Amino acid sequence: MADNKNKRRSTVRNASTRPTGFYYVLAAIAVIGASILGYTLLRKPAGAVGTEVKVDLATVGPAQGYTMGKSDAPVKIVEFADFECPGCGQFATVTEPDVRKRIIDTGLASLTFYDFPLPQHKNSQGAHNAAACANDQGKFWEMHDRIFMAQDQWNTEATDNPKPFFEKYASDIGLDTNVWESCYDSRKYQGRIMANQAEGERRRVDTTPTFIIADKMYPGALPYDALKAIVDSATQK
Amino acid sequence: MTKRMVVAALSLAGIFVALYLLLYKLGMVGALTCSIGSCETVNTSRWATFFGIPVAGWGVAFYGGMFVLAVASTGERYAESVSVSLALVTAAGTGVLFSAWLTYLELFVIHAICQWCVMSAIIVTSIFLVCVADYRDTRRGSDPGDT
Repeated sequence: MADNKNKRRSTVRNASTRPTGFYYVLAAIAVIGASILGYTLLRKPAGAVGTEVKVDLATVGPAQGYTMGKSDAPVKIVEFADFECPGCGQFATVTEPDVRKRIIDTGLASLTFYDFPLPQHKNSQGAHNAAACANDQGKFWEMHDRIFMAQDQWNTEATDNPKPFFEKYASDIGLDTNVWESCYDSRKYQGRIMANQAEGERRRVDTTPTFIIADKMYPGALPYDALKAIVDSATQK
Repeated sequence: MTKRMVVAALSLAGIFVALYLLLYKLGMVGALTCSIGSCETVNTSRWATFFGIPVAGWGVAFYGGMFVLAVASTGERYAESVSVSLALVTAAGTGVLFSAWLTYLELFVIHAICQWCVMSAIIVTSIFLVCVADYRDTRRGSDPGDT
């Protein structure tokens, strides 16, 4: 019996000496971990503004968003969004109807949409132009809703040519499609879109949607309750 | 490798996972992204800080402490120490409880799952299980009634 115990103790003691393999394993984990971290820290983000889409802060002019709600609302909600981003689509279709009804329509806050098309979403530029041209005829928000509602029909995965979809939406919401098409084809509002994007870049937006409420930035799609709580707290200030 | 060495290796991996999340929280890593049900939602939620410190920061401290404890415990001096095994189990158990609370928040409150947080939860659970096995081994080895 005592022999058994000694044998077990001896096994434990032998195991306690650190074999070289242990240090190799630790070194391997450290090298792999540090390499991955270093790579993520040093590389330029794959979809960074300034790589694929060049935004020249000096030439794009002033940013000009699209506002809904009272201009003198006590709280101003600013949203930077990308029409092709599923997170923005989720916010626009699931949360925003409540936000409009219970926060914007009641005068608690106004909401200003700024274009922030991410470069990895190839059809997004077209969508932002489609909405800007709808704004030309006073129907930005109708187009905004239509584009987000049917995001899966025209996004990069679905098609290489999103224009026919946008044209149909323009017709659906009652725009003069000839005027809209001429505006869309000439990329009349590309400068405004780039200016809005540049404004986001200036504010260090790196996620869509990003909200700025009372000078505080909230990256990510906020659920209604969280957004309402932020608006309430901003109102009390 | 002994069980404690496995704990040390897992803790080291955990340090890097938590460090990545901390750098993400501080805005030092991560590309332009569209947020949907992922780390942006979790890491920008109001539960991403605990006592004013980012949860990922607590993670780095936890895994760091666990790593130091585990490496020290592999020394011959502590090989048969039940108290050291108990300390490892207790520390790992605390980590598992904290991680379980965070996973509950992700699933039922924030409604978003961050894959890095899931990875951390798996690592801390593995650490705990290995610590429990180590504790049982050490206790068995030191049990006078076992002779």
